[in-house]
Amino acid sequence: MFEKTLVPVASGERPGELRKIGSILKSLGSGSVCLFHVNEAVSFFRGSDLSWLGPLAQALEDAGLSVEMKTGTGHIASAIAEAALMEGVDAVYMKAKRRWHLETMLLGSVSRDLLRLSDVPVFVHKLRPRLPDEEDRLGREDLIVLYATDFDAASVRPLPSVMEFQGARCHVLHVRRRMADPATERRRKEAVDGELHAVAEDLRPYFGWVTSEQRIGNPGVEALRVSDQISADVIVLGRKTPAFFSAPMGDTAERVVNESKASIFLVPHPGTPDGS
Amino acid sequence: MVRDYLRREAVFVVSSAIILFFIAIGAARPDLLDAVSSAIHTVILDHFSWLYLISSFFFLLFVVGLALSKFGTIKLGHDAERPQYSFFGWIAMLFAAGMGIGLLFWGVSEPLIHYLQSPPFLTPETPAAAEFAMTYAFFHWGIHPWAIYTVVSLSIAYFSFRRGMPALISSCLYPVLGGRIYGPAGNLVDVLAVFATVFGTATSLGFGALQIHSGFTHLYGISSAISVTIGLIIIATALFMTSAILGVEKGVQILSKINIILACALLFFLLALGPTPYLFNIFSSTLGGYINNIIDLSLQSYPFSGNEWSREWTVFYWAWWTSWSPFVGLFIARISRGRTIREFVLSVLTVPPLFTFLWFSVFGGSALYLEQIPGVDLAAIAGTDISLVLFVFLEHYPFSALLSLIAIFLLIVFFVTSVDSATVVLSSLTSGGSMIVPLYKKVFWGLSLSTVAIILLVTGGLSALQVMAITAAFPFMIVMVILCYTLTIGLAQESVRQ
Repeated sequence: MFEKTLVPVASGERPGELRKIGSILKSLGSGSVCLFHVNEAVSFFRGSDLSWLGPLAQALEDAGLSVEMKTGTGHIASAIAEAALMEGVDAVYMKAKRRWHLETMLLGSVSRDLLRLSDVPVFVHKLRPRLPDEEDRLGREDLIVLYATDFDAASVRPLPSVMEFQGARCHVLHVRRRMADPATERRRKEAVDGELHAVAEDLRPYFGWVTSEQRIGNPGVEALRVSDQISADVIVLGRKTPAFFSAPMGDTAERVVNESKASIFLVPHPGTPDGS
Repeated sequence: MVRDYLRREAVFVVSSAIILFFIAIGAARPDLLDAVSSAIHTVILDHFSWLYLISSFFFLLFVVGLALSKFGTIKLGHDAERPQYSFFGWIAMLFAAGMGIGLLFWGVSEPLIHYLQSPPFLTPETPAAAEFAMTYAFFHWGIHPWAIYTVVSLSIAYFSFRRGMPALISSCLYPVLGGRIYGPAGNLVDVLAVFATVFGTATSLGFGALQIHSGFTHLYGISSAISVTIGLIIIATALFMTSAILGVEKGVQILSKINIILACALLFFLLALGPTPYLFNIFSSTLGGYINNIIDLSLQSYPFSGNEWSREWTVFYWAWWTSWSPFVGLFIARISRGRTIREFVLSVLTVPPLFTFLWFSVFGGSALYLEQIPGVDLAAIAGTDISLVLFVFLEHYPFSALLSLIAIFLLIVFFVTSVDSATVVLSSLTSGGSMIVPLYKKVFWGLSLSTVAIILLVTGGLSALQVMAITAAFPFMIVMVILCYTLTIGLAQESVRQ
């Protein structure tokens, strides 16, 4: 899942931070990293000097990863998405940066754009799981994973990735609309319970504890709520074809990425207009 | 045991308590009731009159959109179900729902009042004012009221016939409320429907009583005191109660059918003896103007000049139709089982409005025609006593005394049948949607309707009736917007359901 990971970096990134990221990637099973930088307009002070990438690569190598450095140009998220495809990486790792809401509204966010554009899975690292200190490592056996699914092709696709996380607990969540009458609602609930049970059975060998539930409401809101309730470290989602209203309103994945404290692992669905 | 009853009959207990409280305040402190209802009414009109216009237009777009969408082929019932009534029988019953006291009350008077008291931007008593008067009469009685009814009736029909739920407004909110429809939230929605129905129907009864009284005063010179109007309401209520207690509903239904035939006969009599080509010209040109300007009419509130006029007329009508919508909606839903959404919407939005257009062309057009004759001043009478103008108008036709008597008969029967139908609907709404309702509920609602009409007439006459119709409709209008949403959810889940 993370065997070869693309890590986009910008100038100003600290080697100490990269060392922690390397440690996390290592614990998630990564062996090699493609350190990728998108050249922006040439800086007046620094010119086109890319020597600052060296210490960053060294920090990752210190964590036990083999590193190759690449650069690209153009729109940042598009360049990262293209590089991920060209380099044949398994996933893109991004550390989410705290930005003001207004700044995100006006300038957008690279992670949001990348989630929309990338054809390979994207891991957006948020507050949880906490970056490990120098001396300790992220214990994978403590990982709590929330897998949000609505059983369509897009959300079943991440199932193998969920299995690979192999954490302490996996909670399978299905959020749906209420049916229009009590009888249909009852039948739907039973059918969903059956499907949730089957998914939970598939995941049981990989986690110490597997739970599942179905909720009625807004998928984004409920996923965030459950994530907080179980203190999830990672939320695994499948990316769907964006609905017409998602352009101005934002879709579930975007909402979860923006507001979640847990990290997001988003798996694109091939064949979709922006994911094929 | 009492607790069980209160839980089971929560909608009846709460709504009857509210209505009894209203009656008690109206009887003890009419000035207080007038002050409170006027204050609420002013707040609603000052802040939300635009909402009535926008929501009514939205309802129209919504139902037309549904009819033309892929959902249009969905049946209001099971897929193999056939319509319960023949097409012509069904259309006749739609006529019956649309025909009522209102058409007799406003048929002559509304175009005349618009002609005489047009908005400030128009010179009264001019050809432009006449054209404006007819266009707005068509607009107020055209497809918008039926679109409002359709939202409620489609929702009830869909959720009860296709989804197997009780014929209640709260049932239609299951997609958003879930099991809470059986608790206080669902009861509140049904109470709002009862509240709107009581005041909407009481408004019509008040109009009817005023006009019956005016007819008797005009024909026989009896006193025009309000006590006589009250006496008439009591007599009409006694007639209804007798039919309810003796169980002669079938007789009432026959009377209702005779009434429709008599109303049609009156219409065609006036059309034949009046300036027929002139009336058809009015029908055709006003219909053209109405269709051509329907978007502008729907959203126009004349904010720069004439906003007051728009509030007094258009907003009042939209509120009145909204307050009638649980009553008419439930009735139309019951007779439309087995029809597709497309057939239902397109028929309801075309056939009854065409009939009312003809009605207004004949009654209003003839009145405007007579107004051009020197010495005839119907508009001035309409300006002073709306309820009298129909009888003065009929004086200009042969057998005028007989025609006036027929009009009074029509009004009385409409009054009795309206109370009868409204009590059935109110009793059903307060009995969990069941059509088998205890007699005491029918009697209670019949008495309540008449008493509310009397209280409103005593409190402030015609304006009090209008004030309460607007006030009672406001919360239900919001419920109707939610109904559009839940109906869409239900229809969108048709594939999941199958």
